[in-house]
Amino acid sequence: MSALSQHVIDEIRELPARFPQPRSAVMPALDLAQEELGHLTPDAMTEVAAALNLDAGYVEGVATFYSLFHMAPTGKHRFYMCTNLSCSLRGANELVDHLRKAIGVSEPGEVSKDGLFSYEGVECLGACEYAPMARLDHRYHYDLTPEKIDSLIEERRNPRPHLTSPHGGEGPAPKPHKPRAPRKKKVDG
Amino acid sequence: MAELRGSHGEANGNLLTRHFGTPDLHKIDVYESKGGYTALRKALLEMEPAAITNEVKTSGLRGRGGAGFATGVKWSFIKRDTPEPKYVVINADESEPGTAKDRYILENSPHMVLEGIMIAAYAVGANQAWIYIRGEYDEPYRMLMEAIDEAREKGYVGQKPMGKDFPIDIRLYRGHGAYICGEETALLESLEGKRAQPRSRPPFPAVKGAWGRPTLLNNVETLATVPTIINMGGAEYAKLGTEKNPGTRLLTVSGNVKRPGIYEVEIGKTFRHIIMELAGGPPDGRKVKVFWPGGSSAPVLPESMLDTTSDAEALAAAKSMGGSGGVIVMDDSHCIVEAAHRLLQFYAHESCGKCTPCRVGGDWAVRMYERILANEGSQVELDNLRRVSDALQNGRCLCGLGDSAGWVIDSTFRHFYSEYEDHALRHECKVSHA
Repeated sequence: MSALSQHVIDEIRELPARFPQPRSAVMPALDLAQEELGHLTPDAMTEVAAALNLDAGYVEGVATFYSLFHMAPTGKHRFYMCTNLSCSLRGANELVDHLRKAIGVSEPGEVSKDGLFSYEGVECLGACEYAPMARLDHRYHYDLTPEKIDSLIEERRNPRPHLTSPHGGEGPAPKPHKPRAPRKKKVDG
Repeated sequence: MAELRGSHGEANGNLLTRHFGTPDLHKIDVYESKGGYTALRKALLEMEPAAITNEVKTSGLRGRGGAGFATGVKWSFIKRDTPEPKYVVINADESEPGTAKDRYILENSPHMVLEGIMIAAYAVGANQAWIYIRGEYDEPYRMLMEAIDEAREKGYVGQKPMGKDFPIDIRLYRGHGAYICGEETALLESLEGKRAQPRSRPPFPAVKGAWGRPTLLNNVETLATVPTIINMGGAEYAKLGTEKNPGTRLLTVSGNVKRPGIYEVEIGKTFRHIIMELAGGPPDGRKVKVFWPGGSSAPVLPESMLDTTSDAEALAAAKSMGGSGGVIVMDDSHCIVEAAHRLLQFYAHESCGKCTPCRVGGDWAVRMYERILANEGSQVELDNLRRVSDALQNGRCLCGLGDSAGWVIDSTFRHFYSEYEDHALRHECKVSHA
């Protein structure tokens, strides 16, 4: 049985045509694989390589270079906690300690018992005027405090969508998690 | 969008940010109602490509990404009559610690960036532009995608922008989390689907860049400034700022200040003005201890040098640089050795591994810092740090990442050596962590 579903493989096969040279498709292809599986397994990388006519070792070499590709299972929700200088001068390290206790893990990458959460300490995320800040899944959260971290966790443990303010402050509300359907072709790579 | 923290509105001579804060400025109709796309129209319909490049040369604009190279000169390196394809590649991989201004521009006015891109593309004769945007910037990515769609519907992006027979296409490419991609040749490797390791130069990207073709690489803020220059004229723009470093630029002020934010500042103002007035200075009861004037890669300056001005020449004389405009402020409740340790962890982690001094040196330095901070240090660790710092600098690596790591050690030694001695020789930290 293959790791990736057929429609993902089909989408990956269409990627190279968007670029002046086909090799540029490797990261968008790995994105699709990671979106389906949550992380990149050796089988998935081999299938990506086959779909793009690349060497499996080459694809793995690219995947392991970049920190947004995950080589091991993560929580359903990922905290990317900025711990670089601008955030750590405003308490980021203490927030990481708090988060760790709140989700019950002892190190980055470790998944909480309920499978919902994992975290990583990351480098500057480019929103220093709102430090300390973090990215949770695909959304930035600003001016963090232990209480804000607690409520982000609570909202995901007990989702109550009608209580989520549309004007929460930091961009659109996160999309509910659902298996991906085949997507329409887009012009942008 | 979150509450704006930084320059917006017509006050204070804002050029780029004067319309920031206008509701829906990211929509093309609103942008045009504020005078948007007039520069593109003027450039395409009334100006020769060489005249556009000359206007940018006259403005004295220097790249806002970090290196500060003269933008017009860079444009003139692309030979316009070289056969297609040629590319404009926009560096939106903002990841210099303490820098958020490209995100601020993209979230407020994506069309201003697109307008600058199209002017540049026409000037250098490139029909295709690629925006390389860091993978964590979900919101700016979405806004850029919508803006490109709007511009395409209006016919600005397409076969005949503004009716001019010069096709322009703009596409997006997402990064995947690697600081090194801010370095232009590493970015190109990444765009080509490879591990992002810097290339040896020459050939320079102007000759052999993306996919082996002539390529102009510019930073987001640099290109966002271009419409302003075309509208007001290069000579007018050059009257702002200092003679050798004209204009305004967006400084991200972060760390221990009361009002962190992105401030558009005429180049040449003092850091005292920027940190103490604009950003409100340190928290009550605290003093500025040290600041990084241009991102974590810019050598530190102590409080006694707050009157240094923000132009490239003054910063070079102070043995630092303007870099990415990320002004990180640290107050006297923090330890310089701990801060330097954190930054060396960053440079060690982000080293791409291609050049030995950087690959090995960063980790060595981190180990020395760990010993010193665990009160296991001695003169040996201090001497080793100095040796590592020397080995990282002065062109021993293909790109500047190694130098930057060395400068952290070098500059904190220069201004705060007694704190290092406290830690390494006397095993004490005089900073109160209260």
